[in-house]
Formats: sequence, C-alpha cells, structure tokens
Amino acid sequence: MPLDDLISRALDLAAVKGAAYCDVRMVETHQERFVVRTGVVDTLSNDESLGIGVRVLVNGSWGFASTNLVSPIEVDQITSLAVEIAKASAHSSNGPVSLGPPVTSRGVYTTPVQTDPFTISPQAKLELLLQADRQMGAVKGISARTGNLVFIKEHKTFANSEGAHVEQTIYESGGGIMATARGNGEVQRRSYPQSMRQQGCAGWEFVAAMDLAGNAERVATEAVALLSADQCPSGVTTLIVGASQLGLQIHESCGHAIELDRVLGSEAAYAGTSFLTTDKLNNFQYGSEHVNVTADSVRLPGLGSYGWDDEGVPAQSTPVVQNGRFVGYLTSRETASGLGLPPNGSMRASSWNRIPLIRMTNVSLEPGNWKLDDLIADTDDGIYMEMNRSWSIDDRRFNFQFGTEVGYEIKHGKLGKLLKNSTYTGITPEFWNSCDAVCNEDSWTMWGIPNCGKGQPGQIGHTGHGAAPARFRDIQVGVMT
Amino acid sequence: MMGREAALALLDKALGYSKAQETDIFLGAQDLGLSRFAGGAIHQNVAHSDVTLNIRSVTGKRLGRATTNDLSDAGVQKAMELAHQNAMLMPEDPAFNGLPDPSDAANVDSWDESTAQCSPKARAQIVRGICLQGKEHNLNVSGACRTGVQEIAVVSSRGTRAYHAGTFAGLIINTMSETSAGWAKGGSWRLSDLDTEALGKEAVSKAVAGRNPVAIEPGRYPVVLDTYAVDDILEALSLYGMGAQAVQEGRSWMNDFIGPQGSLGTQAMSPAVTIWDEGSSSHGWPVPFDAEGVPRQRVDIITKGVVNTPVHNSYTAGKEGTVSTGHQENFTGPPVASNLFMLEGDSSLEQLIGSTERGIYITRFFYTRVAHSKGCVMTGMTRDGTFMIENGQITHPVKDLRFTQSYVEALAAVEHVGSESKLILNEVGFATRVPALKLSSFNFTGVTV
Repeated sequence: MPLDDLISRALDLAAVKGAAYCDVRMVETHQERFVVRTGVVDTLSNDESLGIGVRVLVNGSWGFASTNLVSPIEVDQITSLAVEIAKASAHSSNGPVSLGPPVTSRGVYTTPVQTDPFTISPQAKLELLLQADRQMGAVKGISARTGNLVFIKEHKTFANSEGAHVEQTIYESGGGIMATARGNGEVQRRSYPQSMRQQGCAGWEFVAAMDLAGNAERVATEAVALLSADQCPSGVTTLIVGASQLGLQIHESCGHAIELDRVLGSEAAYAGTSFLTTDKLNNFQYGSEHVNVTADSVRLPGLGSYGWDDEGVPAQSTPVVQNGRFVGYLTSRETASGLGLPPNGSMRASSWNRIPLIRMTNVSLEPGNWKLDDLIADTDDGIYMEMNRSWSIDDRRFNFQFGTEVGYEIKHGKLGKLLKNSTYTGITPEFWNSCDAVCNEDSWTMWGIPNCGKGQPGQIGHTGHGAAPARFRDIQVGVMT
Repeated sequence: MMGREAALALLDKALGYSKAQETDIFLGAQDLGLSRFAGGAIHQNVAHSDVTLNIRSVTGKRLGRATTNDLSDAGVQKAMELAHQNAMLMPEDPAFNGLPDPSDAANVDSWDESTAQCSPKARAQIVRGICLQGKEHNLNVSGACRTGVQEIAVVSSRGTRAYHAGTFAGLIINTMSETSAGWAKGGSWRLSDLDTEALGKEAVSKAVAGRNPVAIEPGRYPVVLDTYAVDDILEALSLYGMGAQAVQEGRSWMNDFIGPQGSLGTQAMSPAVTIWDEGSSSHGWPVPFDAEGVPRQRVDIITKGVVNTPVHNSYTAGKEGTVSTGHQENFTGPPVASNLFMLEGDSSLEQLIGSTERGIYITRFFYTRVAHSKGCVMTGMTRDGTFMIENGQITHPVKDLRFTQSYVEALAAVEHVGSESKLILNEVGFATRVPALKLSSFNFTGVTV
C-alpha cells in the first residue's frame, strides 16, 4: 500500500474511533557514522530506521502509539492503541487540550546542500579522519585521539486531520577531532571545531570546510601544552567567553529557559522548570542592552532548520531577547494557545517513535559591533575561555557552572599565558546583565549541538546556536577542588 | 513482542544472508508504555514497539557494522550487505581478534506477565492515586510511570545463540510547592515490587518538610546521601572510568590507582566501600548476556576501597590477552559497568543522620557532569529535598547547593554505610543497588537563587 494511503488510513480510523484530532508522522532515517580512535577505525556503520507514529486527541486528552512495522494491519493497531491510551489519559486530566486555530500547511522542503554527503565515498570520509588522526599522533605526548563524522538523511511525512500534509528531507553533516594528553599528573584534552563535533543542516561541503587535518597538529600541541599550564586562578574577574563556549551557554541558560512546556511544568519531574515564568514575558530584563537573542528555524546551517515543525507549523524567526528584555518563548500549539499566542513552530520529535516536544530551533545571540582583537585590547585584566569541557545548570536554569578546554590570561589588552582547568559560574540573569560587549559577524558562527536530551522516554534533539565572543564583567572563575 | 522462536528464526535467516568470514547479529526489541504526568494530570501518554537488528561483519581483522529495523527480507539483506561492504573498507586492526567464542549464559528470571500486560488504564490508576496524595498537601505532582518488555538475542557464525526477555517497571515522582520539592523513584522487573503509595508518601514528605528553605554558605560540610545521590556517584564513576577502554586510553580515574595486570591496585576509597558489577543478579537489573552474546560476569571493581579491575568487552580484553567480562552494553561504544552494587553497612538512615553533628542531608543530585576526569571531579546541584542536620537531627530545609567534588575523594570520605540498599533503575537499563552513605566532607561551591 502506498505510504500516503497508510497515513490516510490512520487519520480515517482515528476519526471513526472518536478522535477529535489526529496527526501521523512517517519517518525514514539513514545515518552514516565513522569513528577513528588512536589509529584504528573503531566504527564504520550504516544505520537505517523506518516507522510510523500516530497521535490523537480523544475526550480532550492525548494518546500516541508507534511501530516499526509499516503495514495496514500495524497502522490499524497503533491507531486503535493511541485512542485507547488517550481514553486512559482522560481519567487523569485537568481539562480538555486546546490546540488553537487549525494548521493546514502543505508543501515540500529539502535542506539545501551543495553536495549530498551520501554521494561521497566512505573511503574518502575515512581517509579524512585517518589523516587527521596521523597528524595528531605525530605530536609527542598524546595518549589518545579520536575523530568522528556523522551524516544523516531524514525523510519525513506529516499529515493531520485538519488538512495539513508536508514532506521534508533534512540533511545533517558533522565532524570533529579530539586529542588527549596525559602527564605531569594531569589529563588534558583539546577538540576541534568544538567538543564532540560540529554539525549542521548542510551537505558534505560543511565537513570539507572544517579542514580537520589542517587543525589536527595544533589541537594535539595545545593538549600537550595544557599539561604544564598554570591552573586557572580563583576569583572574580572580567571574562571573555569564546564563540563555541558561548553557544552552549546560550543553549543551557537561555534556550532551555524559554521552552514554554518547561515554564508550564511539563518537564518538572525530569529536566526541570524555568525561572522565565509567564509574568516575566515583556516584563523582565534578562540581559544587558547588548544582549539580543533570536529563535530561528530558517537560519542555515543551524541544526534547528526545517520547513515545518512536527505539528505542521511553518518554520519562522522569533525574537526572544531584545536589548536585554525578555520578549518571546518557544511554543507548541497547545502551550501557545494557553497564552493566546500563535505557535512559532518549535515542536520536534527525535524519531517516529517519539511525540513532538518543544525543542530549541537555532537560538542565537545576535552579533554586536566589536572586533575580537579590539575587545581583547580593551580588556585590562581578565580571562578568555573557549571550548566546552563540562556543563551543569540547575533545574530552573539559574545557577550554572561551565568548564572549558582552554583559558588564557588577559593582561593589559593582550592574551597571556595558557591556563588549564578553567571554569566559571554564575546566575543566569546576573550573568547576561553583566555583558558589556558582543563581537561582530567576523567571529560569529552557527554552532550545532547534536546531543540535547529531553523528555521521557528520552529524546535526543539537534539544535543550533549562533554566537560570537562576548565580554562579561565581575564573573566568578576558577571553581575547582 | 517477538518471542524466542521468532527472534532466533529471524536472526538465523539473517545470518544466512551473510557472505562474510564471521558475522554476529544483536537483536534489541522493546515494547514500552509510558504515562507522564504534570500538574496532577497525565499530559503525555505513549506506546512504542521497535525491533532493531545490529550486524557485525568480519573479514580478517576488519569489522563493519550496519543496523536496521526493516525486518523484510530485502531490508535485512541490504543491512547485511552494507555491513560487509563497510568491513571491506576498513583498514586492518591488528588488535582485533575476531568475534567472541560462544558461551552459555545462565538463565535469569526477569519476566513478569502482569507487568508485560499492564494497560494504559492501569498506569493511569497509579498516576491518579499519586496525584491525589499530592493534592492533599497542596503540592504540584509530576512524574512518569512506565512498563514494558525488553528482548535481546545474539546469534553468531561462531555458534553463539542466546535469547532473553525481561519485563520492566518504573515510577518517578516529583512533588513541588512554591518553595520546595520532593522526589521518589522506584524500579524493578516486576510492577508489583513497586509500593506506589509509599513512593508517593516519600515524595510528598520531602516537599512538605522542605517548605521555606534557608540559604546557607557554600563550603565543606559532612553529608548524609540518600540512595538516589549515591546512585549518581556510582553512575559517574562507571561512565568516567570503570570501563577498560577509558583505562587503556589513560583517561579513567582508575588509572591513578590500578595495579599492573593481575595485581591489586591501591587504596582509593574508604575501607567501607565495596563495589561490584553483576548483570545476572536477580537483586539488580538482570540481563544474562551482553550485546556480543557474552555472559555477564561478576566483576569486583572496588574491594574495601582498593581498586581492582575495570570491565571488558571482547576487544579491550583481547588487547590485554584476557577474556571479555560481558560488558558490551550497546552495539557500539565502550564496555560499561551497568549493573552496579555497593555493599551495605550496618547503619540505619536515622543513625547516619544521628551521627552527624552539623551537616547536610541530600536527597539527590541533578545535572552532574565531569569537570575533570582525574579523580572524577564532578559538578552538579542538589535537588528535591536538601536539609540541614544539627546535633544529629534534621532541623530545617536549605536552598539547593552547587558542588564541585571528586567522587573518588567523596567515597574516600565515607564514614558509615547504610544497612538497606535500594535498586535504582534508570530509563535506559543502567541500574545500581546502593545504600545511603555518611561522608565526613563534601565540597559545596555555590548556592542557587
């Protein structure tokens, strides 16, 4: 049976069984993974997944069921099961779910790529990693080295009982390398382009442009140098956060905090809630006047880029923080309806067997006016930290602590000695209100985070975060035992 | 659910498609039902069913992989061909010694029919009861109740032929007032093992007692850790160092304490601390064999504070001329100690608190991440019930604190060990059975708003 007929079958059966609303997603994913560990190809794998998920509203409550067996009989079974589950949900309900105005999107979207990554041979991809591995291995003092590449092609069809029908093909390409050095009673590491890997909604050109091999020797040399570097001092100082690290700072302290499902308590038992309660919308100084944040699902090559979200709502750009003032959430149809707002297309599911949740799109700090060199020259005394090594934040997204792979002392407007085990900590609104400078587009990069966990059962989300280096005053640094 | 016959028949058929010198196939299947609640009502309620074939194709010292959940003949044949092609593309790995030899795993009983058959309605009734408990105390209740079936099977061209099916049940409860929160978590392979009312009471009591917390100064304090916090310590020590890959690459906390092969290591923790991994124990999360079909062995990792050995898969074991301990947790990735036990002591929780002149009682840790691999230095927050202990008694709730603390040093500071252990089963199958602990010192580095 044609796949579209299966989708129609599920929509029709759900209506017959009493569903006031139904949506169906069929998702086929093809992934190529390459991992090289210290001279050895650890993983060369092709992973394929296909399945269908049916979500229904019955008696005002949600039910969802899914299967990897894409056949008429299985589609009938999961549709019936989704209805049964929704009826069970209605036994423990706070009232009927409202979705707001109907969504009737129709169309086709494909990630624009210059070169389909699946047209590049696996040999060429492996050789790219092995070359970088050899370069890292040539540096004395390296105890372990890793490199990885990931390519994903996801074909997704979404239809709902309100008339929406959209088809999307999303491409992702990513890669990265890391060198680990051990000695002097220390273990230190350096990564490139960022921790784990850099990933984007793009083709092979995205990985080719990284020049992993060309950066491998530098990365390894820096890892070894960290073994004999000074410990990051402890105290309160001026901090310049590098672009990659700031991408994760945005993700943790802004991106999660603006998810309206968290704000309303849906994630309380797991990921937590948010300090950005609804009374603060348009009424809270989240950061300084230099802080402008946008949530945007059309900003390639960000990992949060697509045509429509998994409720069929079109991709769009939403202001989140304007001149420091908090002005916008990431929303679903249900949560937006509760606040009387239009949904902004932020619902995504990690696979066919998960329901869509509010997920970050490309939540980015807009560039400022400073050149990085000028910003450092303008800083008399402080520390520059870059590339994430550890991250932690409390359940309301207030208290955070980050560690970075490298730090550099700043003295009299110049970068000075290398610092190891660099960390900084703070309270989110205090931190962003201490921002007095953001660098310009020259040093602004769209970073991809391919490992954002949320939901039960767990889902891994892929998010984008544009950032340039920025300066923060009076920050607590050097938090180690 | 597939069942033994269908699962093994599928794997046998798939194996027949292989052109490689050696092949093994790991089947993982799950039927899950999960009811999630927040604000005192179910807001997400889901079911899924999936079967994945994970294929390893070996040619000489080359190993290629492919996975698929397309169980049609064409789908399986395509995956088998891709795995073979990938193997042919690989450079030779001199350290790869082929697939593991077949070995019989012990039969482990972890099947409960009523858990397998648990309906969405039955889960909704559990949720309703818990939400009513919270409502009586004006608390916002959220959490998740899950039940399901997990099947694993491995067949290899070397003769491995293994199948296991188990059930699982889990309940987490979070209770919140305007100023406080509580927590409880239960897990087992039998739903009837979960005393849902008692878990509800536990979560409610913490939130009720935790109202209007007081901020205290960060610094070093003695602590009493509830089992949930101890679970976090063992999980981190496992993920950041109890596997042989991390040790072989020199990035494990064990590297500073481990002895030369075959000899004992050095004292890293208090003599009161003994930790082992035992996948086939019915007191934990019983899974008789790993993703390579190797029986899960008991591995004594820490004995009276002395570091012994990490856990192995066939690859890391081959590098050291030994045999796998059965700890290839997933199809790819390093060996993981995922069924950990800590030996109980002789103190009740009340005695642990009673022995503390001035310290902090911690329900659980949240968002813990490794800040430095050496010593397994972790940072994270306390959450869902943090209280001041003064003169052997809990006196008042305190605002949540951030810590930055070596977990190895934390276990070196263990003074007393609780006499009762609790099974903590997380969503992806990682399990610990741990007691509460009293530590002489724990380093708090910040406080939240």
